[in-house]
Amino acid sequence: MNNALRQRRGDVGMSQADLAAAVGVTRQTINAIERERYDPSLELAFKLAAHFDCRVEDLFDPALD
Amino acid sequence: MTQNRTVPPATNRLSKQRRYRRLMVGSLLGGVGLSLALRVLDYPLAGEAVYWLGVLGFLAVWFGTSVTLFDERDRALERRASQLALLALAPVLVVGASAARVLPLVSDYAVPAAVWPALYAYVSVYVVFGVAYAWVRSGR
Repeated sequence: MNNALRQRRGDVGMSQADLAAAVGVTRQTINAIERERYDPSLELAFKLAAHFDCRVEDLFDPALD
Repeated sequence: MTQNRTVPPATNRLSKQRRYRRLMVGSLLGGVGLSLALRVLDYPLAGEAVYWLGVLGFLAVWFGTSVTLFDERDRALERRASQLALLALAPVLVVGASAARVLPLVSDYAVPAAVWPALYAYVSVYVVFGVAYAWVRSGR
């Protein structure tokens, strides 16, 4: 799933480790999401959106045809 | 330590996470490795004790820390790996069981006695999976 996590994180100058700590996952998970190798659970997607004060669909784009 | 005061909390947490995960794996692998070595050297009881120390060390680190060592991605990876393992074992069971039944009927080949317990062990893995699946599906 396409996502804008890396860009959002870069905008606020956070490291993957900082973001991982903020939402309670491992840094590897943040890295995997950014590389679009792992789709987060709904719970984690909402946590990430809340962290960046945006909507889930602003962060994640399922790229439906 | 002075160094710790200058380390940002997330980085500190990350290094803890790495350290604890290495400690867990090291404890388990070290316990198993030493246990095997002690058994080879003819100290079976000491080997068993070391094995259990390794297992308990693994559990102590896992349950003794408040740091997130495994998260939803780790669980997703485990689920996927379990599915793949079951999928890889299925043909072995299907073909192996059939071959073990048919070969003695159509040839002089006698299936070694050890094959049957192994096949039953395979079957039991799938039975346990089926029971666990039904239990999870029922909503626990």
